[in-house]
Amino acid sequence: MKKRGRGIGCNLYGIGYGFNRPDHSAATVDVTDDGTVIVYSGCCDMGQGSDTVLCQIAAETLGVPYEDVSIVSADTGRTPDAGASTASRQTYVSGNAVKKAAEEVKAKLLEFAAEMFGCEPEKLDIKDGKVFRKDDPSDFMPFKELAKDAHQRGKQFIAFGWYDNTTKDVDQETNQGDAYATYIYATQVVDVEVDTETGEVTVLQVFAAHDVGRAINPMNIEQQVEGAVAQGLGYALMEEIILKEGRTMTPGFNKFLIPTAMDVPRVITSIVEDPEPKGPYGAKGVGEGAIIPTAAATINAVYDAIGVRITELPITPEKILKALAEKQ
Amino acid sequence: MSEFSIVGKRAERKDVRSKVLGKALYAGDLYRPGMLHGKALRSEYPHARIISIDTSRAEKLPGVHAVMTHKDIPGINRFGLAILDQPVLADDKVRRMGDAVALVAAETVEIAEEAIRLIKVEYEELPAYFTVEAALAEDALPIHEGGNLLQHTKLRKGNVEEGFAQSDIIVENVYQTQRVDHAYIEPETSVAELDHEGNLTVWSSTQYPFRDRRQIAPVVNMPSNKVRVIQMTTGGAFGGKDDITTEIQAALLAVKTGRPVKVVWSRQESMVCSTKRHPMKIFIKTGATRDGMLMAMEGKIYSDKGAYCSIGHFITKKAGLHLSGPYHIPHIKVDTYAVYTNNTICGPYRGFGILQASFAHESQMDLLAEKLGMSPLEIRLKNALKVGLSNATGQVFEHSVGFYETLKRAEEYMKTHPLEGGVE
Amino acid sequence: MKKLKLIVNDVVYELETRPERRLLDVLRDELHLTGTKEGCSEGECGACTVLIDGKPADSCLVLVGQVDGCHITTIEGLSDGNELHTLQQAFIKAGAVQCGYCTPGMILSAKAVLDQNPNPSEEEIRKGLSGNLCRCTGYQKIVDAVRLAAGELSAKTGKGGGN
Repeated sequence: MKKRGRGIGCNLYGIGYGFNRPDHSAATVDVTDDGTVIVYSGCCDMGQGSDTVLCQIAAETLGVPYEDVSIVSADTGRTPDAGASTASRQTYVSGNAVKKAAEEVKAKLLEFAAEMFGCEPEKLDIKDGKVFRKDDPSDFMPFKELAKDAHQRGKQFIAFGWYDNTTKDVDQETNQGDAYATYIYATQVVDVEVDTETGEVTVLQVFAAHDVGRAINPMNIEQQVEGAVAQGLGYALMEEIILKEGRTMTPGFNKFLIPTAMDVPRVITSIVEDPEPKGPYGAKGVGEGAIIPTAAATINAVYDAIGVRITELPITPEKILKALAEKQ
Repeated sequence: MSEFSIVGKRAERKDVRSKVLGKALYAGDLYRPGMLHGKALRSEYPHARIISIDTSRAEKLPGVHAVMTHKDIPGINRFGLAILDQPVLADDKVRRMGDAVALVAAETVEIAEEAIRLIKVEYEELPAYFTVEAALAEDALPIHEGGNLLQHTKLRKGNVEEGFAQSDIIVENVYQTQRVDHAYIEPETSVAELDHEGNLTVWSSTQYPFRDRRQIAPVVNMPSNKVRVIQMTTGGAFGGKDDITTEIQAALLAVKTGRPVKVVWSRQESMVCSTKRHPMKIFIKTGATRDGMLMAMEGKIYSDKGAYCSIGHFITKKAGLHLSGPYHIPHIKVDTYAVYTNNTICGPYRGFGILQASFAHESQMDLLAEKLGMSPLEIRLKNALKVGLSNATGQVFEHSVGFYETLKRAEEYMKTHPLEGGVE
Repeated sequence: MKKLKLIVNDVVYELETRPERRLLDVLRDELHLTGTKEGCSEGECGACTVLIDGKPADSCLVLVGQVDGCHITTIEGLSDGNELHTLQQAFIKAGAVQCGYCTPGMILSAKAVLDQNPNPSEEEIRKGLSGNLCRCTGYQKIVDAVRLAAGELSAKTGKGGGN
């Protein structure tokens, strides 16, 4: 018999290293002589999309088109140290470092532009690749011209930004204190169908609501959430490195099974934006948080469907059949 | 209209064109002139003393350029993400299956593999411990100096005895999670090369080149300003490329041979040798009042570290700090224990200990809800952390606690998407 | 050693090589077509997928001697210079790429699906891609990309339908 169930899973996740571990990032932003921009950041993009997000933050802060911003990342010979791409920290920590560098570059540019406009730098702004008077936006100069002009006069617009996310330490005996700078939160809902004859669990659909502070790039967030849910379902239902007296019995993809396109259902991502004042444009992060509630929600969905509670992951058909037999 | 120009937009990824064209360069796509291939001989015992290593036959194999054991390391023979507890090449003993014992650089991968088979290692087996309980037994031999209990942390908020006394319902359970692999599709890969000035460059599939450099330089006995680590396009990582994998092996062989060396772990090596997500055994007791307010939570977490720390002490600690979930609970007591065993190493993997914690706290929430005759959603809404409420470490936020809103979104979803054929 | 002829991306290569070498190694080490990736070496992950006479195959399991005289398509042969194939465009548009390591193999498997059936259902797409593992995306945007490409390709060929 096939029975359906729905389960909820929730979590919080402290982003960054926390409890006083050094948590810094540095970046350099350089406006070249044709007005295009290079971000130098030690941040590794392993596919999560940090290169893109850091370029968006630089473009937004400088007021130049995103297409004109490129990035050199993660090279000890060329980029400043941004810390590791772990702990869902790069959008927040490196995002802040890039923003600070870009703000400083912008301030220098406006100072230079002020001479040309014959006004105070505070009267000027940059947006969409144009430097303009705030009180009269029709009085503007293309950003590229400004950059070219500046470089011809030997000016360089390059700045270093550093952001320190190191938190205070917690009490060693009680672990009480401000352990993390901020947290991300999530709720996921997993719908399953359990075959009580075979013990097989089919996941029908997943809903995933994640508080990310601010979505710098909603597409990237969907990518992170959809991929994390698939990994989380693998963790819940099939994945296990089996050791026998220390020897790995599952050393390949034929034994350590991960979800294929046939195993993963549709995921509906719902982005909650509750801005974090310290985050760049209010952003926090998402990468790690996205995977956390999936297994919990799946366990609860299986319980909802067939009334047996699995307390050992993964939820294999054998465990389900055994639990069903014990229940009867 | 949005207040932002590009923030909040679905901007095209900077890396996407080169990736769909197949032009993105991953570390394995580097082919350097005169490049050799490196392979490691790995321990076949989970815990054993090394008596002798005989590399003579391997050295004589045509096409072999270098065979290295711990004696050939120019600098220190230790590395580690947080604690330098891992030998680059096993010296006194091996602590798990898969510890690297010797390295070979050869003209081809096949020759390197053949040379590996020709190396003879004599071991003296030691008692090995495959469970946390066995490793913590009083008569267990220490896997590392300092014993098998790597770390014990304590979280104390309020007074749990009082909290349970105020609870009408108490639910107590034990949860066990398994060991899993990151399973990124690109295996661990590095290419290392010395230039004409004696500078070492390592191109790698990594999550943090600066910490790689910090660990490579002392092993090859070079200052950091002579070592450059460049992250190549990386085919997934999820925490598994946070630790050193192939970087030091490639660097050592390149320094030894003076030739560029590529080291690619096979899928099997990746499964055996890279870090895994920690199996955790979680004892948890949760108390609530009749109207569903959480009053107390007490927990113990035992994590199986495997043979080396990586960053598992922080992972285990973080799991403890998150064991109460996104809820306000006035009284909390949690103890965590990170324990060395002779199993595969556990380290960072997306979620950093919190998947294990959430499996436990979310199972508990549903069990409580059922006993209280509440819906799973209702009990969560009642206890959700909000601005102004303290979390497990007593921290109170004035901003950006969006948990309640994620629950409301879920509520809306469940209303508009009723589960067809579900149990009423 | 044996003389072999491979037609890779419409270019004819005359090679003198051991016929028992893996096609994957010949493509990468010899022809420098590194878009074809190695993920597991045992035909489980699909990162090394190429098309052999139009059919998808794991090039880590194919010996080069077996494909003497065959037409082979790798990811490098899909685009016209920097002019992207409809599938490549769709992968960008739908956001189907993260780390990118599975992408070349995935796109070639998708091409094989669409070559066989210009208007596949979601189920058929998922089945056609089930030999290609992806650890980043959860497959959703990949499936969306293939549907998008199917629609655009059939609009181009005037066959209508397809979404």
